[in-house]
Amino acid sequence: MQCAESLAVQAAFDGELDAVSAAAAERHAEHCPECRALLEHLERTRTRIRREVDYGRASPELQARIARMLDAEAAAAKRVLGAAPRPAWRLRPFWLGTLAGAAAALAASLAVVMLAPLSPAALPDELLAAHVRSLMPGHLTDVVSTDRHTVKPWFAGHADVSPAVADFSAQGYRLVGGRADYLDRQRVAAVVYEHGAHVINVFSFAAGVRPLPAQLSRSGYHLECWHAGDLGYCAVSDAGWEELDGLARLLQDLAAHDTR
Amino acid sequence: MDDKRTRFEALVLPHLDAAQRLARWLCRSPSDADDIVQEAFMRAYRAFDSLRGPDARSWLLAIVRNCHLSALAERRRRAYEPLTEEHQAQPAPHAPAALPDPERASIARDQGRTLARLIAALPEEQREVLLLREVEDMSYREIAAVAQVPIGTVMSRLARARAALKLTWLEAGGEPHAVR
Repeated sequence: MQCAESLAVQAAFDGELDAVSAAAAERHAEHCPECRALLEHLERTRTRIRREVDYGRASPELQARIARMLDAEAAAAKRVLGAAPRPAWRLRPFWLGTLAGAAAALAASLAVVMLAPLSPAALPDELLAAHVRSLMPGHLTDVVSTDRHTVKPWFAGHADVSPAVADFSAQGYRLVGGRADYLDRQRVAAVVYEHGAHVINVFSFAAGVRPLPAQLSRSGYHLECWHAGDLGYCAVSDAGWEELDGLARLLQDLAAHDTR
Repeated sequence: MDDKRTRFEALVLPHLDAAQRLARWLCRSPSDADDIVQEAFMRAYRAFDSLRGPDARSWLLAIVRNCHLSALAERRRRAYEPLTEEHQAQPAPHAPAALPDPERASIARDQGRTLARLIAALPEEQREVLLLREVEDMSYREIAAVAQVPIGTVMSRLARARAALKLTWLEAGGEPHAVR
């Protein structure tokens, strides 16, 4: 016989309930043996699926196929545009204008980068872009190691900061390696973790007391930032909030111990 | 590079791995899965201007799912047309489908009792919600957008998928001991 509360217990387990309803479901499970067994089963199933089932990543062949398809689509769109009759003055090579425009845009963006630190509003975009770039083939790590004593010293020569690094495999966050990125006018340290099928990039940079972006989600990615000493940390991933927050808390504890 | 493509590469392309995983879970053959993903990305690119709101991942995965369904329908239709009557025998609906190679290898190792095989035996609608919840970490609302069903249906399918795994574990002689 199925307990009437089982769907609520499942929803609480999946993090779908507000705090009050979740607490009610938890209280119910405490004295309902069936729901207690259900919770145990849910937990065990999740752990095993995340640990044992891996349908991997898109192969390089598939990535190349998609890129070729996009080339073909873009070229087809251009042909359609090109077929329209044009006034005579537009007959100069089409790329002349594009080139001039691109040069002007480049000069403008360089000027902005040289003159001003990123505004808090632009930082999330930069961080998400850096995360996405890191997922392109061959971009994830510069130093591959699950050993914090390899990853941390590597940053000394490659980034402007020395971030907290540790392997949290026991808690489900495997240290994969590190990478240097250029963000916010400085060499930023990116520490890469894996949680199940998800890659988590933890960026760290000199932030002083400058405000960091609030928690935000954009196109399926989550961003969470915090201060530790004068460093700013930002974790970016498509993992769930709970998972991202779990790593953030582990790193905060670690940084607190490091400075003591 | 034109603006549409730049935006597409920033918003949609990052979800290629998730698209590939869903296609692989749905159709179970790696090469068919790649075809489905490619088709889905083409449809997504052509329909990109119609994407509203921030959730590109659910939008893309819904397209992947539709591509899988139309590929399935197409295969069934073609399987019937050119063949004479005595060759029309369709594979039994529950015939074990070809499993991806890494799965085949691990199944050989664990004598057909791996979790991957148990999940592969689930009905497609349950397999899908289970993957989206446990592997892709999606909320009920996002899963509902992909599977194009109400949230209540997501919840009941998820519950059935999880209960079915428990039952198969029991039938397979108790819970298989954890690997590693």
